[in-house]
Amino acid sequence: MIRFEKVTKSYPGPGAPALDRVTVDVEKSEFVFLVGASGSGKSTALRLVLRETRPTEGRVYVAGKEINRLAGWKVPRLRRQIGTVFQDFRLLQNKTVAENVAFAQQVIGKSRSEIRRVVPETLELVGLKDKAERLPDELSGGEQQRVAIARAYVNRPMILIADEPTGNLDPTSSVGIMSLLERINETGTTVLMATHDHGIVDQMRKRVVELDHGRVIRDEAMGAYGFQH
Amino acid sequence: MQLRYVFSELRQGLRRNLSMHIAVVLTLFVSLTLVGIGSLLNMQANKTADHLGSQLEVIVWLCTPEDPSNNACTGEVTDPQKAQVEQAIEDSPEVEDYHYESKEVAFEKAKELYPDLDFEGDDAAMTSEDMPQSYWVTLKDPNEADGITSAVQGLDGVSFVGDVRDELEPVYTIIDVLKYGSWIAAAMLVLAALLLVANTIRLAALARRKEIGIMRLVGASTLYIALPFLLESLVTAIFGVALAAGALAAFVQFGITDGLADLIDFLPWIGWEEYLKALFGWRQAGIAIVGPILTLVPTLLLTRKYIKV
Repeated sequence: MIRFEKVTKSYPGPGAPALDRVTVDVEKSEFVFLVGASGSGKSTALRLVLRETRPTEGRVYVAGKEINRLAGWKVPRLRRQIGTVFQDFRLLQNKTVAENVAFAQQVIGKSRSEIRRVVPETLELVGLKDKAERLPDELSGGEQQRVAIARAYVNRPMILIADEPTGNLDPTSSVGIMSLLERINETGTTVLMATHDHGIVDQMRKRVVELDHGRVIRDEAMGAYGFQH
Repeated sequence: MQLRYVFSELRQGLRRNLSMHIAVVLTLFVSLTLVGIGSLLNMQANKTADHLGSQLEVIVWLCTPEDPSNNACTGEVTDPQKAQVEQAIEDSPEVEDYHYESKEVAFEKAKELYPDLDFEGDDAAMTSEDMPQSYWVTLKDPNEADGITSAVQGLDGVSFVGDVRDELEPVYTIIDVLKYGSWIAAAMLVLAALLLVANTIRLAALARRKEIGIMRLVGASTLYIALPFLLESLVTAIFGVALAAGALAAFVQFGITDGLADLIDFLPWIGWEEYLKALFGWRQAGIAIVGPILTLVPTLLLTRKYIKV
């Protein structure tokens, strides 16, 4: 589903590359944690999957397409197969919960009848059916992140990318978010999650890829955040 | 594509940036009006030239008994002198055709030209005897008047040689000055309009950067993201063009038809046909074509920059 082949990404200016000959292969419906300190290259890896940037060397395949060869006008189509969730939620404050979720469908031209059908379904999945008409600032952080997940999942993407989704949340909310991501993963969606959260990684017992200064220093099928102490 | 979203965005965008949009509309209005006036004047100049082109003639005025124009005239032109002038005209290679005009014909023309003067009786302002005889020479090329002029100028019996174009020169000069003046002013205002459009787009993109970011992430096409911006620009262009079209209509009606055309009625004047060309003509850079281009092109370029996927 996602494959990095000896991927190097250097940004202009001095310093080591953000990613250094990284090779990783993520299968369909896998759940993978991407861990490592700030500046280890996690964000660059996610940006490459989204084709927000291109590799300096090597190849990145997403959903069978090599992103470096993908024509610019085909990028939106690639992104429709990827849902994205961020630490800061990125909700539109002037739209209600339902409108925020519907927005992701409207702007890719889904029909009104489909939106009317799928949005409530998705809100139910994330447990916010009762709060469809609320505005984001009337919700708790955990609830806002659920809205963001609903928006990322509403188009039923093949891949869900989560960049520190629990970074702004208290432990209880974080657990809720993780179980939601796990449920989405169980429907066959590949989940790639970058995180700093030791507790979550240790508890979930999923595959862990650890980056350090742009290199993969660990890739374990059922890993924990750090080496076992 | 869901146009409902696009139109609600358009409405919001227009409201949000109202003062900027008004500035763009007004600048466009004035610059397009000047562009339009420039091309109307250009068409007027061409029309005048077309009309006069066939009449571009050199007139050889012959001496009258007491000729005020030329002291060398010793009296009424004689028949041998006329024969000599006629020979010189015939020998000249630039001459297409010529004809002789008698005193009587000249007198009739004068009567037509000055209907208010009294031409009859003892107090007559002038009689046919006062009128000069003349040769009207049509040239093969209106620009080659010098040869024939020097050939007959100075011959005995010739009072003076007149080129019709000389009399019209001031008219052309005025039209040229107005035309280029309005185009230069228009060029600067067009530049101002372009910069205003660019600023408007920048502000709008900034105000909507969060939405644009989300749209890009969920895979909205570039066109879909850019469409509200393009429509906003189109709407301002339509208002600018409409105002300019109104101003040009007023210019044609009150400035030309009711104004200059009334004042100077021996020239053909531009009218509604030329007005339509100034609006929609491709070759005349019609304002209904130029206006939308002026707003859409910078919008396209800038949206590509600001909302690049």
